[in-house]
Amino acid sequence: MPPAIHPVDLLELLRHRRLTPAIVFLTSRRACDEAIDSFAHRHAPIPAERSAAIGRTIDTMTAEYPSITNHPLIPTVRQYGVAAHHAGHLPSWKIAIEELMRQGCLDAVFATTTLAAGVDFPARTVVVTQSHIRKGRNFMELSVSEIQQLAGRGGRRGKDFVGFVVITPSPYIDLGHLARGLTSHPEPLDSQFVASYPMVLNLLKAHPIDHIRPILEKSFAQFQLNQRANVHETKLDKADEQLKAYGQRECADWIALWQSFHQAKQRRSNVRRKTTPHESPDVRARLSFLTPGRLIELSKDRGVVLRQYRSRGHGQAMLTVVRGHGRIVEYPVSAVTAVLDAVMDLAETKRFPWSTAQGLAQASDTLERLPARVQRLPVRAEPDEADHPMLTETLNGEFPCPTCSSRPSCQKDHPRALRVRQDHQRLTKTVHALRTELWHRFRQHMETLQHFDYLTPACKLTDDGEWARLIRINHSLLITELIRMGAFDGIEPSILTGVMAGIAHDDDRPVAFSRRNAPLASMLGQVRKVAHTLSAYEEPPLLRLDVATVAALWIADPALPWKDLIRSTAMAEGDVYRLLARSLEYLSQLHALRGTHPDLARVAGQAMDNMRRDVLQELP
Amino acid sequence: MTNDELETRLAALPGRLLRRLAKGRASRHFGMGKSRLIHELLALPPDRRAHMETELASLETEAASLPPPSSNAPPPRAEGTPAHREHGQRNGQRKHGHRERGRREHGPRRHDPREHEPRAPAAPPPRHAATDAPALGIGAMLEDIGVPPPRPFVPDPWQEEAVARLATGNVILSVPTGSGKTYVAVEAMRRAIAAEQTVIYTSPLKALSNTKLTEFVQTFGAENVGILTGDRRDNPQAPILIMTTEILRNLLYDAGGGEIDMRLDTLGLVILDESQFIADPERGVVWEETIIFCPAQARLLLLSASIGNPDDIAAWITSIRSTPCHLIHHRNRSVPLRAAYLDPSGAFAPLFRTRDISQTHTPPLHPETHRLFSRYEEHTLGGRS
Repeated sequence: MPPAIHPVDLLELLRHRRLTPAIVFLTSRRACDEAIDSFAHRHAPIPAERSAAIGRTIDTMTAEYPSITNHPLIPTVRQYGVAAHHAGHLPSWKIAIEELMRQGCLDAVFATTTLAAGVDFPARTVVVTQSHIRKGRNFMELSVSEIQQLAGRGGRRGKDFVGFVVITPSPYIDLGHLARGLTSHPEPLDSQFVASYPMVLNLLKAHPIDHIRPILEKSFAQFQLNQRANVHETKLDKADEQLKAYGQRECADWIALWQSFHQAKQRRSNVRRKTTPHESPDVRARLSFLTPGRLIELSKDRGVVLRQYRSRGHGQAMLTVVRGHGRIVEYPVSAVTAVLDAVMDLAETKRFPWSTAQGLAQASDTLERLPARVQRLPVRAEPDEADHPMLTETLNGEFPCPTCSSRPSCQKDHPRALRVRQDHQRLTKTVHALRTELWHRFRQHMETLQHFDYLTPACKLTDDGEWARLIRINHSLLITELIRMGAFDGIEPSILTGVMAGIAHDDDRPVAFSRRNAPLASMLGQVRKVAHTLSAYEEPPLLRLDVATVAALWIADPALPWKDLIRSTAMAEGDVYRLLARSLEYLSQLHALRGTHPDLARVAGQAMDNMRRDVLQELP
Repeated sequence: MTNDELETRLAALPGRLLRRLAKGRASRHFGMGKSRLIHELLALPPDRRAHMETELASLETEAASLPPPSSNAPPPRAEGTPAHREHGQRNGQRKHGHRERGRREHGPRRHDPREHEPRAPAAPPPRHAATDAPALGIGAMLEDIGVPPPRPFVPDPWQEEAVARLATGNVILSVPTGSGKTYVAVEAMRRAIAAEQTVIYTSPLKALSNTKLTEFVQTFGAENVGILTGDRRDNPQAPILIMTTEILRNLLYDAGGGEIDMRLDTLGLVILDESQFIADPERGVVWEETIIFCPAQARLLLLSASIGNPDDIAAWITSIRSTPCHLIHHRNRSVPLRAAYLDPSGAFAPLFRTRDISQTHTPPLHPETHRLFSRYEEHTLGGRS
C-alpha cells in the first residue's frame, strides 16, 4: 500500500463523488508543487470549456496584476484545473488563485497546512493529510483551533448544502487526534504579553511613570494573571482559616519555636547516631583492646588480630585475624568470644596480609604453642548512653518546650500546622508574583533603557529616547544603537537595505545562495559584533549575508527586472517578496526619523523609492 | 435429494436467503463466503438435512416471487434495496426513520437527492451489515451534495443581534470559520459611515488586508475605502481605513505622544479581524495594546474564529472600557460539515458513526474507517520495521 494517495487519484475520487472543489492541505510547499507537477505527468486535462473559463479569469487578473503575466504555472492551471497556493508564491499569484477558486473554476487547490491562516477562501471539501506540522524545528500536534480552522474552509455558504472534511492518511497522521480535534472544544486563548523597548519608550512619552502600572494592569495578560491570582487567593483564605486554629499558645510563634526545637533534637540524635553506630556496649568496650597482635578467642579457635577496621557499608567494627595454620580471616568484632590477656609483638604493614611474612609465621607459631588455658581479659561494658543526661540538659536550657505546659498539643499539632503555614507562605509569594509580574518585566526593560541612556533616571525620555521611540520593530535596540554609533553615516541605500533585510529575516532554513557582496559583508560583520554585545538585552538577529545580498541587489540596480532577481537566488519568489516587503517596513521606520537624522532618512527614502517598483508596486 | 442436486439448488439461492437457511444450522454463518456456507450445509448430518430441504423449498418459492436481481449489481447496501427492508423488520424501520429525519432537516431546500445522485458503485458493502450495522453508509453521507438554489440573503439572528449590540457597546464575535462574520462587519461599517464616523478595519496579514480592500471597494466604492501600510497611504481621508494591527498600534502610540496625525477623534468603530491572534506568541501583544489604547469613544468589534474562552475576553474588555462588551458566540456552522475517511486504496468511509460532526463529544470512529486505518498503519509501519 502506498504511504499516501497519489494527488491525481485523489482528485479523481473526489470528482467521482462530486466532492470538488477541494482544498488539499499537504505537508510542505514542495509536496504542493510536486502534486501539481504530477498532473502534468499523468496528463489528466479538464474539458476545454472549463479551460477557457479559467483562461478568461486569468486574463482579467493579469490586467490588474501584470506580474503574473506569463507565470510559469498558468498552462498547468488552465489545462488541469488545479493550483498550488503557498507562501512560496507571489501575493498577486495567490490572489489570482483565490479569485479562480471563488468563481469555482478550479477543482483543487493544494496548500500547506502550516499557513492555513492565509487560506481565506472556502471550498466544498477540505482534505487533511496530517495531524502534525513543523513548527520551527520540531513536529508538533495541530491544536484543536488549528484543526477547526482547516476544517472550517469546508462548505461554501450559499453554494453548498453540506461541506466535507476528508481525512486521508500520510506518514504524519494520528487519526484519533484529528477526530478529537474536529469535535472538541477549542483551546482557550492565553495572553502572550511581552514588554518591548518601543512599548516602554512610547508609554513613558505619553504617561508619567506612576501611571504606567495602572495601564499595564489593563492588559489581558494581567486579567488572566488576576484570574490565577484569585484562585490562589481563595486557597490563601482557606489557609488563613486553618491557621487560626493554630494561633498563639504559651509563646507567640510556637510553630517556629517547636520547629527549631524539633530540629535541634533531631540534629542531636543524628550526631549521636553517627559517632556510635548501632552496636552493643560489649563490642564497644572491646574495641580499644583489639589492637594488632592481641590474642583472641573465637567460637572454635583462637587467633591473632592483624588489624581493626570498619566495614564499608554499615560501619560495623571488623577484625582481620590470623588463625591456626596461617589462615587469614575477616570477622565482625561480635564474633570474638573472649579477649585473651596476651599480646604478641607483630610487625604491621599497610597492605594485605597486614603483617610481614615473618610476623605471620610468628603468629601461627605463637598460636600453636599457646597453652589450653589462658587468662581472659575482663572487659567491663558500660551501659548504653541513650538518655545521656547532658543532651537533655542542654535542650532544656535552650528551649522552653520540654517543660512547657502546651508541649503535648504542640507536639501533636506541629506537622499539620507547619504544612498549613508553608502553604500559606508559598501562596502569598505566588499571589504577589502574579500581581507584580508584568510591572517587573516592564521595569527590567526600563532599567536597560536607562542604562543605555534613552531614559533619564527619572524615567523621562532623553533626546535619544525621543527619536528612538519611533523605531517600533523587532530588534529596535540594535537599530537605535547602530544609528547612535554612526554606523549608517554615509551608507549606500543598497547596503542599508541589506542590513535591514538581515535584521528583519528570521527564518534559518538554508535556501538562498547569491553572489558575494564585499561591502555588505563587512557591514554585516560590524552589525553582528554590536548585536553580540547587546545579546544580554535583546536576542540577536540572524543577519544572514545570503539573504541580505538579495535585498541589496534589488536596490543597487534599479533596472534589474524581478525575474533576474529571482534567478540570482534559490529563495522562492514569495519569500523574496516577503523579505523585501519587511525590509521596506524597516526602512520606512528609519525614514520616519526625518527630524533628527535627515541624512539617514534621505538614504532610507531613496532605498524605498528603489524598492517600490515592478512586483512590489502592485499591492499597497 | 443427492448432494450435487442440493448443491446446485443452494447455489441458485440468493445469498441473503441462504444465510437465513444457515441460521441455526451453521455456526458463525455471517462471516463466511457463499461457497464456504454451502459446503458447511452439505456437511450436516442427515436428520437435520431433511428439515433443511423442506425449508429450502419454501425459500425457493419466496425467491421466485421477488424481482430477480440484475446480474452484475453491487452487493446489497445497508439500506435502500427492498430485500434489505424485509430482512429484519426492526432494523429496516430504524434505518428508514433515520433517513426520514435527515430529510426533514434539509427538507425545504432540496429535492430527493437520490433522484439525481447516481449510486456510486465503488463503495464496499458494510461487512457486518446484519450484526453490527453502523448508523450510516458512505452513500447516505454523501447524498446531500448539491448547490442550493439562489435565495435572497437573510441575515441570521445572531448577525442582526451583533449589529444591534454594537449600538450599546463593544462586541466580540466568536463563531465558526465561514459562517458570515464579514456581514456583521460590513453592516456595522455601513451604520458608522451613516453616522459620519471613521472606521478602522485591521487584519493580521497584509494579504488579508488586500483581499478586504477589494471586497470593501466593491461594497462601498473606491472613494470610501483607504489603506495604510508602513510606507504608503492610499486615500487616507476615506471613512473606512484598512491596515494591519501593527499600523493601528503605531497610530495609537503617536496619538498618545501628542502627535495626532489621524482623525482619531472621529473614530467610531475599530474592527479587529482574526482577533484570535491575541494568543500569537510574537505578535499577540500588539492586539492587547490596540485594545487598551483604543480611544474611549470608539466601539470595538472583535471578529474571531471559534475560541475556547471568548467569555474571558469579553469580561476583560468590559473591565477596561467604559462601555460593556457583548459576546456573540455559537458553534453552529451555517453549512453543516461532515467528515469522511479516504483510504490510499481508494475506499471511502464515514469518519464517525454519526453523520454530522458532533460539537459536544467525540463519537467513536466508524468501524469501516477503523478497519481501513488499522490496515493502513499495519502496512506502513509493518513494512518499516
